[in-house]
Amino acid sequence: MRYSYINPRKKSVFTKEIQLLFTFFSVTLFMLFSTYAFLIFKDQRFMQEMSDIKMQKEENRANIVKMNSEIATIEKQLLLSEKIFTKNSVLRDSINNLFDLVPSRITLSEAKIMENALILHGITPNKDVYNFMLQAPLRSIFHRTYSSFYPAQNGWLRFVSTNYIDNEEGLSSEE
Amino acid sequence: MITKFLEALYTKVFINIIIGNLQTTIYVEVCSKKEVEQSVRKSFDTTVMNPKMYEFMQTYIKESPFFYISILDKSRHQGAIPTCAVSEMNRFCDINSSEYRCFSKDWAYYTSEYDLTATKLEYRNVGIDFIFSPFVILANFFKDKIDNTLSMFVLVEDNYLSFTVFENSRLLYAKYLDMDNHKDDDNLMIDSPAYDDLSFEMEGIDLEEVSLEDDSMVFDDFANIEELDEGDTIDEFSEEQEVKPIVVKDVDVSHDGFNEDYQRFSLIQSSLNTFYKDPKYDSKFIEIIYIADGVGVSPDLKNYLEEEMFLSVYIRKIDLAISLCDLAKAEANEI
Repeated sequence: MRYSYINPRKKSVFTKEIQLLFTFFSVTLFMLFSTYAFLIFKDQRFMQEMSDIKMQKEENRANIVKMNSEIATIEKQLLLSEKIFTKNSVLRDSINNLFDLVPSRITLSEAKIMENALILHGITPNKDVYNFMLQAPLRSIFHRTYSSFYPAQNGWLRFVSTNYIDNEEGLSSEE
Repeated sequence: MITKFLEALYTKVFINIIIGNLQTTIYVEVCSKKEVEQSVRKSFDTTVMNPKMYEFMQTYIKESPFFYISILDKSRHQGAIPTCAVSEMNRFCDINSSEYRCFSKDWAYYTSEYDLTATKLEYRNVGIDFIFSPFVILANFFKDKIDNTLSMFVLVEDNYLSFTVFENSRLLYAKYLDMDNHKDDDNLMIDSPAYDDLSFEMEGIDLEEVSLEDDSMVFDDFANIEELDEGDTIDEFSEEQEVKPIVVKDVDVSHDGFNEDYQRFSLIQSSLNTFYKDPKYDSKFIEIIYIADGVGVSPDLKNYLEEEMFLSVYIRKIDLAISLCDLAKAEANEI
């Protein structure tokens, strides 16, 4: 039975003070959790960055190894090229010297330069010109020199001069 | 469900306000689920809300979110009517400007809407949860008698009387009586034209001209006025004059009590007369009066009622604050 003229106000455990307290705590908790979440996110990102950097470091290391090997190859190639250049220079000089050796009266038609041999084909007016003007310097250069002649149509002599340099190591081993 | 559970964890605080003639009593009960943990009563020398009262109430309000503030209605325009049908209520009061509640199918109590709003406004700082009618307190207090007798039931408060007549729990008549207003009525009577005529007539009476041969019944009591001129009587007065200061003082003290109880008696008498004479009410002859004494009436009231009205008088002490608190508890438990 309700006897009062008025209805009582609604009573709640959540009074203004408690509401304020709850708001304060919820804001604090929210800030704590958001900070925690932010830190976790940052941590994850940092870890990810760290793993990326590690991977990059490994990649760079591999690249360095590869580049080092490439540098070594290039250095080798450089050495080889220098060697070849030197050889070629020597060869050019040799050829120049060879052509300097050939007197103007003798005409070369073919020259084969090999590692330890030189084969010359040409035309000489006579054997003496050949023997004195070409064979003599060739003999001073090569260890062994063989010459063969056959007459050309105009009365000159075609010649084939085969010159060999004996391998010194082979000679020393033979000795 | 959760609310009920949480409610059980907290204590309930019932703050009950009883406004007296010159002071306000606040009775506080702090109750756990089954027992009263603490009860405090404090009186303030004011009849309106003041900072001290506010502070006192706030102390207990802060103890629990489940606090209920109750007040006993002091509206002069309140009462109870022997019907609960809205169509019949207008015969007894202006129901349009009143708030009413049916106590049972047979009777209802009402009060002024304006006064309710004024009460709520006055206590807006702390808020009011329950406003109870003194008729409800009276009906609950004398429940054992109301159910099976034809009697008058009166709740005596400071300056107020709640007067009811019940016959086997059926309300026959009820009136809320304001002693101050009654005094005012008396004062007003002095200003009324009827009283002017009366005083004019009184002024026109010359005792010298009054003779014992006059047949007027009005002056029968003054038949011995001439005896006043006799020397013995005057001597007696002159003797009394000597001790007058002390005697007058004593009379003054008793005069107030006398006045209040006599006022109460006269209010009861006039209300009973109204009940007998007003055709709106189903009047019956009353022989018994039950008085719920909330202020501590003197035995004079009982004597007046017994000797003047030949009533059987039963006086029961009531603690209004506790009764109000019990009602608030019952009400709060029903929510």
